[in-house]
Amino acid sequence: MMAEKLKKILPQIVFVGIVIIAWQVLYRLQIWPELLFPSVGSIGRSFVDGFTQNNFGGAILYSLELLARGLLLGIALSLVLSSLAMVSKSIYAVYNMLVSVFDLIPGVALFPVAILWFGTGESTIIFIVVHSVIWPMSRNVIDGFSSIPKIYIEAGENIGLSGLNLVRSVYLPAAFPHIISGLKVGWARAWRGLMSAEMVFGATGAGAGIGFYIQYRRSFMDSAGLYASLIAIILIGVVVEYGVFRVIENRTIRKWGMVR
Amino acid sequence: MTTDDQKRPLLEVRHISKHYDNQLTTDAPIIGDLSLVVNDQDFLCILGPSGCGKTTLLRCIASFENYQGEILVDGQVVSKPGSDRIVVFQDFNQLFPWKTVARNVQDPLKRRGIKDKQERERIADTYLEKVGLLDYRDYYPHQLSGGMKQRVAIAKALALHPRIVLMDEPFASLDAMTRKSIQAELLQIKEKEEMTVIFITHNIQEAIMLGNRIMVMGRGGNVLEDMENPLPKPATPACEGFSALWDHFTQLLDQSQ
Repeated sequence: MMAEKLKKILPQIVFVGIVIIAWQVLYRLQIWPELLFPSVGSIGRSFVDGFTQNNFGGAILYSLELLARGLLLGIALSLVLSSLAMVSKSIYAVYNMLVSVFDLIPGVALFPVAILWFGTGESTIIFIVVHSVIWPMSRNVIDGFSSIPKIYIEAGENIGLSGLNLVRSVYLPAAFPHIISGLKVGWARAWRGLMSAEMVFGATGAGAGIGFYIQYRRSFMDSAGLYASLIAIILIGVVVEYGVFRVIENRTIRKWGMVR
Repeated sequence: MTTDDQKRPLLEVRHISKHYDNQLTTDAPIIGDLSLVVNDQDFLCILGPSGCGKTTLLRCIASFENYQGEILVDGQVVSKPGSDRIVVFQDFNQLFPWKTVARNVQDPLKRRGIKDKQERERIADTYLEKVGLLDYRDYYPHQLSGGMKQRVAIAKALALHPRIVLMDEPFASLDAMTRKSIQAELLQIKEKEEMTVIFITHNIQEAIMLGNRIMVMGRGGNVLEDMENPLPKPATPACEGFSALWDHFTQLLDQSQ
């Protein structure tokens, strides 16, 4: 089992190894100045120093906490609103339009308005996160709801389910593969939205996140630190994909045989 | 016969007709003007060629379709789907894939007002036992074969104690061997349980084996034949009178094409 898994991800590990070696070779060739192209060693050192000296861990936790609050709110809102859209045709028509329209507005474009309303504090960042997650998530949930095989709905109605009960007991679990892909898109968008918000605002009253940390490295011309923070962002993404989404998938839709 | 308790009318279909929603009313209807009375404890098999409206009739009774006319269960007009009329579909995917076999049978009982979890488990296990799948109670539907899924669907339907079970060619997609054994099981269960069944099929042998009453439908939902099954159970092709009956239904079906 373990060996099989290892065999599966072996090409990926080899690829990452090659990239690291190629990077170091390019560095040795001195094609670009050190400021643009720092060595693998100094990026690694900066990565470690970030955590031990510059409170990078704190910045990550701060960002993740903001993200989690925004994500939870956005996910809850999109589930509730999409469910309501399934109960009434008029709500569906209006909500479908809202989703299509608002999904077109990039989070960054909303900053000025958000700042007018909420100032440059945490609320604005959470507002941006909610905005980034709610529309793609709702789109996926609604699409998921409309592609549920009719037989599940009829089987549900047949045992006496209707209205929100039917949505909760049949629509939501039956659309779970779509809901999970909505979560993935939503999380990715929210993560980006958060990062840009933090870079625009710098530190909020309460703390400083990853975006601010990157700005801070930039202002010190610490290019190894910049690369190190990008690596940290990638690592967090990998952890979320394999530690969160993969686990959810394995315990739900994969166990249920709804995806292979 | 009306004094016989078993002959109490349970389901009354009064002059229903059905056009498809996108169909012009001048076109031939799916069901023209159909009336039908099903008595308590009837096992009514409905035979008919493809497209004769037999599935549509069943879906009307289940309130999955709109129609003109009236359908009554126990003298009450029904207009919404409910667990008093449980459908067993032909499609193997009628179980919820996100629930285990046991939960697929147990959870609908909640809607039947059985609040006690242990009581629900007990009832579900009883019926899973009857269809021989108690060992599979913790499996998910995707881990079962088609025949096993249909057995679970039957267990789920019976556990609910519906007034009437509506079966829409539940065995049509099964291989001959599996079909035969499930038919025998269903017949056994029917003998022990008080249940009323409408069973749609296009398989004459299946209709003769299972039904105590057999109806033949032709195009437009015309009832071509509606008779008591004269053969005693178990009715096998070896029984006297089987082939005469078989010929009779074959002829009717040929005419209706």
